[in-house]
Amino acid sequence: MDVLVLCAKTALACLLIVAGGAKLSDPASFASAVRLFIPFRVSWPLLSATAVGISLGELGVGLASLTLPAITALNALVFAIACAFVAVSAVGYAFHRGRSCRCFGALSQRRFDAAGVLRSAVIAGVAAVALAHVGGAALQLGATARTLLFAAAGILAVAAFTAARVRGTRNEPGPEVAAQ
Amino acid sequence: MKVPLYLAVAQWMLLFAFGLLLIVVFRQLGRLLHKDDATAPFGPAMGSKAASLEYSRFADNTVQYLTPGDGQPILLAFVEPTCPSCEQLVLALGTAEHAGELSGLRVLLLTSSPKSYLKVSDAFRATRLECGRILAQATTQVYGATSTPLLVAIDRDGVVRAAAPAIQLAEVRAFSRACLLPPDKGESIPITAAAPQHENDLEAAAPAAGAD
Repeated sequence: MDVLVLCAKTALACLLIVAGGAKLSDPASFASAVRLFIPFRVSWPLLSATAVGISLGELGVGLASLTLPAITALNALVFAIACAFVAVSAVGYAFHRGRSCRCFGALSQRRFDAAGVLRSAVIAGVAAVALAHVGGAALQLGATARTLLFAAAGILAVAAFTAARVRGTRNEPGPEVAAQ
Repeated sequence: MKVPLYLAVAQWMLLFAFGLLLIVVFRQLGRLLHKDDATAPFGPAMGSKAASLEYSRFADNTVQYLTPGDGQPILLAFVEPTCPSCEQLVLALGTAEHAGELSGLRVLLLTSSPKSYLKVSDAFRATRLECGRILAQATTQVYGATSTPLLVAIDRDGVVRAAAPAIQLAEVRAFSRACLLPPDKGESIPITAAAPQHENDLEAAAPAAGAD
């Protein structure tokens, strides 16, 4: 059971790191997705800053969750973020169906659709599993192990950033032609 | 020495994540090796449906969503302030606009450069035409704007009627006529495309967040 919970926890941490890193590679594109959820006029710099803030937030929570496993509050935070994913997917499906969600920057070509809501629900389910209690001994990490994990997570973020940048400049699908 | 369970799980999970990213990168590298940009089409295909796009309008610094096919013909110019040929095109567009030859058209200058770059060009600084910055890198891909200037004529139904590099006033006039072709007319006006005057990789200069 502990292995399952820890798998869920680390998988979500990796997911957040990859999503944050990938989004940071093309914040302008992610900002255009963020704009869909803001009902009033917002200046572009503010929108862009919001997009970067969300990306950095995801990245930060992922890094913290991976390197500080003993802090159980982070599990709750990750679960809250997963619930936010569900809400965003549902609202996107309801009001912006077919538009690109930029959930993983240019790494993913996913759009707001029913499958996206289901995927978000699965992520929330995994986050709920990660909330389960795990014995303290399993989470004991030394300073060296913590540093190495942090370094690996950082490399993962850079790898996601680079991969998204390559894909973003070469292989993105165009914006869909849809009457607004 | 006993390894904590969490560390063991985290190692495998990180390895898995790295593996996935590696597959993504290698798959993309494979595509790049098979696809040479030089063979990529320049400009959107004539007769195709023009894609919608988002841009940041310089005049009021707001994000705008352009939806071709909403009943208004559009003359779209992909230009860069640092490109001399683009300056000529902007001047030609300005002249045509001043003479009322572009009435009924929505004329939009799109660039990948930030607003501050407009200062380097007298033509861009002085133009009264709507000008904005492309937000998504995908836009240049979809429109095939691999070099500038590129002028695209879109009719009221959102169909691309002409797409080619253009500099001269006569070319601008031809494009404006292409925009106003009746919707039931299946063919587009053939406009001889001169070789791109300025190789300017719009993708490389894709906007960075908050650079304005």
